[in-house]
Parts: sequence; C-alpha cells; structure tokens
Amino acid sequence: MLYNEPSPLETRVLTRRFGLPNSASLDTYLATEGYQGFLKAAGMKPEEIIEEVKISNLRGRGGAGFPAGMKWSFVPRTSPKPKYIVVNADESEPGTCKDRVLIENDPHQLIEGVLIAGLAVGAHAGYIYVRGEYRYLIEIMDQAIAEAYANGWLGKNIRGTGFDFDLYTHTGAGAYECGEESALLESLEGKRGIPRIRPPFPAVVGAFQCPTVLNNVETFCAAPAILRDGGAAFAALGVPRAGGTKMICLTGHVNKPGVYELRMGFPVKQMIEEVGGGIRNGRKLKAFIPGGSSCPVLTAEECEGLTMDYDAMAARKTMLGSGGVIVMDEDTCMVKAAMRIMRFYAHESCGWCIPCREGTTWLRKILVRFHESGGTRGDIDLVGDIARNMLGRTFCPLGDAAAMPTISIVEKFRSEFEEHLSGRPCPYESASHMVTV
Amino acid sequence: MIRLTIDGKTTEVERGTTLLHAARFLDIKIPTLCYHPLIKPFAACRLCVVEVKRSWGMELVPSCHVACQEGMEVSTGSSHVLAARRLVLELMLARWPNVPILRKYAAELGLEKPRFASPLRDEREDACILCGLCVRACDEVVGASAISFAERGIGRRVATPFNLESESCIACGACALVCPTSYIKFEAEDHRGKPPEFLLDPNTAIYMPTAQAVPKVPSIDRDSCIHFQTGGCQKCVEVCEPGAVNHKMVDEEIEVEVGQVLVAIGYDTFDPTPMAQYAYGRLDNVYTGLEVERMLNSTGPTGGRVLLKNGKPPRAVGIVHCVGSRDENYHRYCSRVCCMYALKFAHVVKERSGAEIYNFYIDMRAFGKGYEEFYSRVLNEGANVIRGKVAEVVQAGWSKQKEGALLLRCEDTLIGRFREIPVDMVILCNAIEPRRDAEQVGRLFGLSRSPDGFFLERHPKLDPVATMTDGIFVAGCAQGPKDIPDVVAQACAAAARMMATISKGEVEIDPVRAEVMEEYCSGCRVCSALCPYSAISYVAERKVSQVNSALCKGCGTCVAACPSGAMTGYGFTDRQINAELEGVLAV
Repeated sequence: MLYNEPSPLETRVLTRRFGLPNSASLDTYLATEGYQGFLKAAGMKPEEIIEEVKISNLRGRGGAGFPAGMKWSFVPRTSPKPKYIVVNADESEPGTCKDRVLIENDPHQLIEGVLIAGLAVGAHAGYIYVRGEYRYLIEIMDQAIAEAYANGWLGKNIRGTGFDFDLYTHTGAGAYECGEESALLESLEGKRGIPRIRPPFPAVVGAFQCPTVLNNVETFCAAPAILRDGGAAFAALGVPRAGGTKMICLTGHVNKPGVYELRMGFPVKQMIEEVGGGIRNGRKLKAFIPGGSSCPVLTAEECEGLTMDYDAMAARKTMLGSGGVIVMDEDTCMVKAAMRIMRFYAHESCGWCIPCREGTTWLRKILVRFHESGGTRGDIDLVGDIARNMLGRTFCPLGDAAAMPTISIVEKFRSEFEEHLSGRPCPYESASHMVTV
Repeated sequence: MIRLTIDGKTTEVERGTTLLHAARFLDIKIPTLCYHPLIKPFAACRLCVVEVKRSWGMELVPSCHVACQEGMEVSTGSSHVLAARRLVLELMLARWPNVPILRKYAAELGLEKPRFASPLRDEREDACILCGLCVRACDEVVGASAISFAERGIGRRVATPFNLESESCIACGACALVCPTSYIKFEAEDHRGKPPEFLLDPNTAIYMPTAQAVPKVPSIDRDSCIHFQTGGCQKCVEVCEPGAVNHKMVDEEIEVEVGQVLVAIGYDTFDPTPMAQYAYGRLDNVYTGLEVERMLNSTGPTGGRVLLKNGKPPRAVGIVHCVGSRDENYHRYCSRVCCMYALKFAHVVKERSGAEIYNFYIDMRAFGKGYEEFYSRVLNEGANVIRGKVAEVVQAGWSKQKEGALLLRCEDTLIGRFREIPVDMVILCNAIEPRRDAEQVGRLFGLSRSPDGFFLERHPKLDPVATMTDGIFVAGCAQGPKDIPDVVAQACAAAARMMATISKGEVEIDPVRAEVMEEYCSGCRVCSALCPYSAISYVAERKVSQVNSALCKGCGTCVAACPSGAMTGYGFTDRQINAELEGVLAV
C-alpha cells in the first residue's frame, strides 16, 4: 500500500514502515521495534511519560500546534471519573491527507500511541473518530484492533503490564465541523456535531462528561518513537520549539505531489523544488498555503527563506496548520481560489452563530459574482470587511478558518480582484487551472 | 467577590457572574438576541460581544457566557465591538429587513441599510431569526425536545422531527413565549373554539385565582404546569426570591370527626351546546351568563369592558331568558335567578357599551324585595323586552353592515308576530341545574332527591333545612335554585339548627329502631346495603353488623330482609310480640 514515491530528503520516523510488505500487520510492526515504546512507558511513572513528551517538543499536529505534553498534563489525575483518549481522525481540512496514510500503512503505530497516552493520563478506553468519508479506513483499523486484542496488545492486563485498555472506532457522517474537538465529542456521543461552549475544555469535561485527551492521529503516532528513542532524540530532529518531523501533504501545481515526512523547519523552497520536483511546466510560484485551506495565503516573495515550522510560519502571520501544503503557480486565478475556499466553508458552516452562517454565505455569493465578472470596486473592501469582522468573532474556529485565507488573498492579491471588475472576464480562465482544493 | 472594570467603572460581583450581568448591574446596555435569563447562554448571535484585555492583547468575547475574572478590563463600546455588532446586524437585516428587534438594534448602532441584498430575504415582521431560544427552551426548560434545528449552515431552520407533528410536544407554549419575533404563535382553543382570554380557566399554569383572592397567593394548575408533565422547568422556583414555590405539595385527605353535616354543594350551570338553535359554540359572540359575568368583571379578560371577539363594542345585544329551564326538553323548573341577572346585564351592558338591549322572556319573575322596582328602572332606561321564546340564533346575511352580526328569530307573543332582531352579541341565561355529583353525595349521606335532582328537604314548609337523615342539613342551590339573599337566609337557618343541637349536648332519639342479635348475625351485610339512612355498619373484628341507633329511623327494611333473623326491631322481637299477644288474649 505505497502512497507515493518517497523522497530521499525525507526523515522517516512515523513513516518508517511505509513500503514494507504487509506494513499494516502486527507481525511487521513487531519485527520493526513495534510496541517497544509502550513497553518502555509501562515501566515508567505517568509523570515521567508526560515529561518525556514535553522534552520531545511534540506539538499538536491537528493544526493549532498546542504542546502535546502540556495538553496531557491538564487531565486531572485525581478525578474519580473515567478518562478517555480520543483520536481525531476526522481529517477534513482541504489539502490534508496525512492521517489517512498513517492509518492505512501503519495502524498499530496509532494503537501504540494511544496506549502510551492512556498510560500517561490513566485512561482505560479510547475512541478513534474516523471521518465519514474514510469508511474504508475503519476496516483497516478494526482489523488492526482485532489483531492487537488477539495478541494481547489491547484488552485486560496488556502483555502482563497490569494495564487495561479498550479501543473502539467510531465513524462520523462527513462534516468538516466534526474535526473541531468539541463538535467531534458531541458527534462521538451520538449527538449532532456542533461545537460546545467553552470552557470547560475537553481535558476536564470531554467525552461523556469525563476528562479526555483529544489529539490528532499524527500526534499519537509520534508517541511510540518518542518513548522508544527518547524525547530528546525526537526533539533534535526539529527546531528549538517544535520537535520531530511533520507529515507534509504536498499538493497543487508541483510535479510530484504526495505525502512526505520532513523534519520540522524544512525550507519551503527546497520542499517545492526538490521534494515536490518543482512547479509543473516550469511555471513560477504565485501563492503558497502552508497548512490547509484555513491558513492565510503567502505570496512567492514571502516564501523566500521560509521554513516549515510553527514559529517561522507565525512570523509570516500564517500557520503550519495540518501540513496541507497547496502550491499555486502563476496561472492560478486567486479570485477563483478564494471563491473555491469560501464555497467549502459556506457549505460546511454548521449554522450555529450568525457571523459564520450568514457571513460565509455572503462571502461565497460575492466571490462567485466577482469571479463571474460581476464585481464592483466596493465589493473588494466589502469582502475584506466582512472577513475581518468574522475573524475571532465566531463561536468556533470555522469562522476564522473561512476568514483568514480570504483576508490574506484580498490584501495580497488585490490587483487580481481589480482585473475581475465588472464586465471583464477572468483573465486566467483560458489557462483553466483549477486549484486543487 | 471579584473586582473588575467595565468601561472604566469598577465594580464587584460574585464569582460566576457573566460579563453581561455585571454590565447590567452598572446600567450598561449590551444588545442580545439569543440570550434569555432563564435559559443557559448559547453565545450564538455574537451581538453581545465585548472587548476584554488579555495578556496577549484585546480579545472579543461573548459577554453572555464569559464569566468575570479578577482584574478584568472590559470595554463594551470600543470600535472593534461596534464593528462586530454592526456586521452581525447587517447580515441579519439583509435577510430579515423588517423584524422590529433587529431594526431597533440597528438603529441604535446607526445602521440604516445593509450593503447586501439577500436572495433569502424574508420581508415578514414576524420572521424566524434563528436565535434558537425556542429550541433551547423546549430542550432545557421543558425537557420535551419537540423542536430543534434542522439542516446546517445557511439552510438552518427550526423544525419538528421530519417536519411532522411532534408527539413530544406537550403544547406548553414555552417556545412561543420566548420567541422574540412572534414567529411561533400559540393559539390555544378549547373545545368550543373560544380564544383563551374568554375562558373562565386561568391562562397560565401558575396564576392568581382571582385578583381579590384570599389568601393572595398564586396556585399551580397541575394539568398545564410543564413540571408535572416533563419533570423539568421549575423556572418559577428560580425566580421566586423567598423560595415560596413548592412543587412537592400534594393534596391531603383530612379526616374530621363530626356530628352534623351541612350539605351545600351548590349547582352547575346548564351547558347550552345541545340547544343547537342557540348556536352556542358554533357562532362567535354567543356567550353564557357566567362568561358575560367574567367579562364584566373589572379583573376579567377585557377589564370589564363589553367587547365582541373582534375587539369592538357591540351595537345591539340580545339577552335570552330561560335557556334550559322552563323547558319540557331540559328542565321543567324555573331557575329563579335568571330574570333578575338578565335585567342586571341589560342595565350594565347598556351602561358600559351603549348598545341597544333586547330581553326575550317567557314571564318576568321579579319576585323579591325591590326586584320589581329594578325591573321598572331597566325598562325606563330603554331596554327592550320582548315576550316570547327565541326560536333560533343565526348568522346575519353577508352584507357589509351586517358582517359578523347575528340574527335572533322569535315570536313576539304580545303582538302575535314573528320578529327578526339583528344583534352583535347574544347572552344566554342558562339554567341552574343540580351538581353532576349530586347523586353520589346524596348516596353518601342518605339524602333523597326530588324529581328535578335537587336534594329533598324534610318538609317544604315546616322543616326546609333538615333532611330525612338526622344531623344532615341542606342549604343553598343544592336544595333548589335560589338567589343569594335566599341562600344566605337558608344557610343561617341551617347553621342555627345545628348550633341548637350542639348547645344542647345530646339528641333525643325514637325508641323505634333496629337491633342486631349478634349471636345470629352471619355478617352477610345484606342489611347495610339496604339501609336508606346509612345507619348500619359492619364490625370487621367481630364479623357482625351493627346499628347506629342515632341514625336508625326504625323503618324495618333491614328486619324484613335479614336472612338469618338476626335483625330485629328494638323491643319488638318475635318472642316479645308473642308474649304481648298472649298477655292481651289472656284477659
């Protein structure tokens, strides 16, 4: 089950078993140091496990980049309630496809990561919430879980460590909103997937009103390597404030799109040119989305000297996000890109709060009209104004996710909007490039 | 206590107070759409956003749900706050341009016309603005969850499951109550199709029985209270500061031992619905006497004004006497009070509405002191009286002037002609009839009833308040229709009779009574079922029947019926009678 041709520039930690025959099987996993991290963790105190994760500088891979060790330490250990581990495999961010390959090629790595988190916070049950459209992954995951149960890697008294853990899969119904942690928990509980009011945060009141650790698939998958080889070794792979590697989903106008595991802080230019094999048909870079469609867009100039890590992205006022890189070449129509992105968010808005429900619909309407050459000069400011007033004002981050790319496109590519003003057809339509959103 | 600063004013609030509440303490107005004091914060409308100073900069937060923190610095009117509110209202107005609450807030923010035009534009003033109050009230307060949001994003709407009539709906009306735009309407209609404000029943589940109630405390109507249906709500408990609302109170049965009972169970009024010719319940503005009485009450639904269903005063009112009384098909007796209260209506309705009054009577029975004088006075005031029974009440023709008006058809027996009188309102003076449960009550106390169903007194002239059962007295309309002075007089008489017995301290009883010879009694209880005075009881411990000699009238029914010969007349056993006979014959 090879996903794409690996690149020699990759640092393969999470993907080390990719490409091996039967990489998803327990035998292959055990033959390649599988479950060693868990066995090591089982001999450690919970605080030591969390400390190790803190040393590793592992930051949440779902998009927000919150330090994982710190998140785990928020779970009140003294709480008499049961604690849960929930894996967010609701990978819905446009441009992102890393969790899929991690589960498909190495499901046991995820199980081991969940077990380690369970040891760290004293949880004895976990749920893997898989995106509705990823139905086929459920089979792979269920098979791996069954295999783990059969061989004593899940269930009662795992491998004589005295640790009990049960793991279940749960499938969503295909809503972007359910990737938001509190909406995911609602959906997991069998309710409608709408975000919860916060505080309280899931670490205190999560699944079924109990303390819950909720992380992305990639975050959990990093845990076995951290425990096995030590947090310091993992941290050393990355940059000072973000350790390890990052799964990069390289999409858009590159010659070799695919999922690559690159060390934190990998140069963007090198990634596009060498890992991705350069931009198709020798065109030039126009725009760059570093972490899925909800991140502010960067121009080619802003990519100069930029590296793929949280702080470097933050310095350019964008985000590493989920690592869903979208590369757009010079023939891309940015108005169309903005329109496509907004179409997605307007479709996915849950409708709870007014700015998001009404705002995304308005932005979609204006941007569609704009692209169909019906825009006015006032519309350009209107789009920016609505988006800016949505940012930070909505109930959950979906509104921000819709606003951020829009604001950046309007600000950085204003001239393209002007080219679309009333009566003028889209100057890029002949190139008929489609953004791979 | 927590100290914080809002718009430069420092205040102290209790822990857990939301920013919205703290601001309201300081009289700082923050607009809200999805907030309701009795429902958990929802933070969806984003209209209540305020700016809070954080370590990382200024942050906009919804004030309805964010709690005050020590040393917080809050701004409710900064440019960011106003811009965010303006956008929300602009987006809302683009879709619902005429909803008053949106227009009001928009005007406060100086927003005139939105920059967008929506294809989803809804021009109604009572459009649904998706604030979610109804959904949350139904879920959190009522606990019925009969409505919720359907679909997502811009398609979001409030709906019942699958858009079908919801079985979970308990018709409590909470959704309509909280709806800020009156999109949800609650139209309660009773089986007669009357709007709720003209019902004699309370309109709310917790209500003051009457404006002059003594003691002046509200009651809870168990049948309409949400709490007794779903176990939820109890919002009245939350808002009652002295904590006086108690849902756990239950009806108590109290046993009191008494020697005498005054049965004064009152009467029911005749339901004129079966008299189809009077169109009660079928046509608007046809009322019974009690309904009009309620309307005339200054604490009633119209504040004492005489109004038609359309809110206008009537131009002409027909008052029909003898509805269900003096009628071979219903009650043959005269209800006695109707003529006089009909004349009172004639007087009051004329005085309050200036309407033309028509009284339709069979005979005018102004029997009491001063009544005839009142009749003359009403006649002098210009009320029309027509002698004749009303044949039917019909809808007047559909011409413009007569729209909605009623037509009374009757025979005027004094001039010997049929007449048709157009009126706007008809008042039916319906009969007094025995209470529904008069039969059970009668059986309980061993009372007989006259053919009309009212309790029978011992003697109509010589003993009008006592009954055939010693110690049981009757008064008021339970004994027969009568007006208030008569009722008061009869009740006083009955009370005096009872007081006389009490002050005497003992009762004389006739020697003629039944007695049980316990050694023969099998405890079959044939006697106790037959006793018309409820004088025989069963003693479970000894398994025998026992005669209460104070109640027994010595009628002998039980003696004749006793299968084992255990029941005998006191002093009249077979042996004693035989011995007497022998004595007489021996002479």
